[in-house]
Amino acid sequence: MTIEVRNLVKQFGSFKALDGVDLKVDNGELLALLGPSGSGKTTLLRIIAGLDWPDSGEVSFNGEDALAQGARERNVGFVFQHYALFRHMTVFENVAFGLRVQPRASRKDEPTIRARVKELLDLVQLDWLADRYPSQLSGGQRQRIALARALAIEPRILLLDEPFGALDAKVRKELRRWLRSLHQEINVTSIFVTHDQEEALEVANRVVVMDKGRIEQIGSPDDVYESPATAFVHGFIGESIELPVQVEGGVIRLGDRPLNLAVDGLVSGASKLFVRRHDMLVGPPGSGAFEGAVQHVRNFGPVQRAEVALSGGETIEIDAPRDRELRAGDTIGLKPRRYRIFAG
Amino acid sequence: MTMQIADSVSLPSTDARARAHAVAARDSLRTEPPAIRIAIIAMAVIFLSVFVVLPLVLVFAQAFSRGVLAYFSALAEPEALAAIKLTLIVAAISVGLNLVFGLVAAWAIAKFEFSGKTFLITLIDLPFSVSPVISGLVFVLLFGAQGYFGSWLRDHDIQILFAVPGIALATTFVTFPFVARALIPLMQEQGTQEEEAAISLGASGLQTFFRVTLPNIKWGVLYGVLLCNARAMGEFGAVSVVSGHIRGETNTMPLLVEILYNEYQFVAAFAIASLLAMLALITLIAKTVLERHLDEGHDASDH
Repeated sequence: MTIEVRNLVKQFGSFKALDGVDLKVDNGELLALLGPSGSGKTTLLRIIAGLDWPDSGEVSFNGEDALAQGARERNVGFVFQHYALFRHMTVFENVAFGLRVQPRASRKDEPTIRARVKELLDLVQLDWLADRYPSQLSGGQRQRIALARALAIEPRILLLDEPFGALDAKVRKELRRWLRSLHQEINVTSIFVTHDQEEALEVANRVVVMDKGRIEQIGSPDDVYESPATAFVHGFIGESIELPVQVEGGVIRLGDRPLNLAVDGLVSGASKLFVRRHDMLVGPPGSGAFEGAVQHVRNFGPVQRAEVALSGGETIEIDAPRDRELRAGDTIGLKPRRYRIFAG
Repeated sequence: MTMQIADSVSLPSTDARARAHAVAARDSLRTEPPAIRIAIIAMAVIFLSVFVVLPLVLVFAQAFSRGVLAYFSALAEPEALAAIKLTLIVAAISVGLNLVFGLVAAWAIAKFEFSGKTFLITLIDLPFSVSPVISGLVFVLLFGAQGYFGSWLRDHDIQILFAVPGIALATTFVTFPFVARALIPLMQEQGTQEEEAAISLGASGLQTFFRVTLPNIKWGVLYGVLLCNARAMGEFGAVSVVSGHIRGETNTMPLLVEILYNEYQFVAAFAIASLLAMLALITLIAKTVLERHLDEGHDASDH
């Protein structure tokens, strides 16, 4: 199933949730919608599911107009952040729900339904919980049941809204890996929404980065990390150092200090320089583009994180390998191994 | 007196967690000397005995003062039977109507966003804040001989005032808030996600309502119906204004109690009053049971 979204606009009062979104999702893809809260990612997901309606724009599944159908007819599996399991039904009945509410003509007989539910509970490895109620399950178990319930109707598309957002860090990591392997097994076109970049980069084949109702970049996890298309993406994904610089006459200046960096193809004016924390190489004073005094050092496993006050007045955090110990009070030179400059 | 018992049945109390906190806090706050503690408890017990238990006992004592036979023959009087029947009919009508209206109102308020919502919630509480006598008078103004619809109703030979429809209307008005008020907080807390999940799984609107929404609020519905019923059977003021007190026809149980009492038929008056008192006791027990179920529901959704 391919999904195509064209020029989608949705406004809540004076708040523009979606501001002209275009997106194509290929068959069998596992796509992540990544962005801060209020970026419109959940609204986009809900419109695809039919739980919300756009003010204008088109949504089509395999070339067919999806907006002509309600959520009920779209045959889309939806997994909610807070599970939304039916609290008065057992796990078994929760999973069976989608099969039991089918119109009489297409409804399967009881033995078939039972076999199908059993199969799904096996798939999510929770068959032993069939007779429990949702309130008796842990968060991770509930979310897996919610997934089994969504898969019961053999959905054409699987949509997951912050599926791991309500879980603690350890369970979240396990479920991430599990979701990826499950997707390889069932191979249904899937979109999941997350504000957690690590989650998006680890699980998805392709990542859509959103901000303020617009798509900032679409690309593979490597693309969005290694070559961010906009200042927002660079700042949002990975840990970046952001410095306000001035490009003028072939020179980049930080404050009134010229930086020894290439400026090919840059537009003059106020710009933003982005460097990954671990791309700042430490050397002796005078050796790099920046100079600064180490304020404070903490050790994180293989790296040391140092707070450095640059001579231009800015304070930045860098991650340096521990082969050369830094101490508070050291004066060091810093040279960005890789950097990007965005106008504005 | 019995009517007051029914009237004082309160709306859902604060949630279970608050109560649990109160219990935990009590231990650390228990610093008063034992004498003061005993004195306070004694005051509460004496007050309750004098103002609640004693009147209740007296009702039954008076009802049986001439023996069991007199008690039952008083209840078997045609007038008494007519009042019991009328009370049951009126309660059934008003509880039925309020169940439907209450569900609809709670649904609208809890699941949709619209302007004027706060006003609607305030409006639902109106019958609680207006004296029942005024509520009754409103219907007299509307449907009475000199009222807005009076001449039209007379021309079409429709009797509302001094008949079952008027009594049912007044009772419905006075008891309207019970079901809605029991359901609104419950449905607001539960949100719309389960309904959305049901619809995305292919359920129709009706299937969603009967399989998902209703089971989730069933204890709240029963709770609201119980209180609504207790008040409907015990209502005096509004009904008194619209009933016309036609003996054997438009007297409900509370009205008949007053009439019999004024005619010095104490055994008969208290025999009927004892029925209302029993209704109140049964209501209290059922309310306690339902509140336990409601609390369990809250706990289950706490995670």
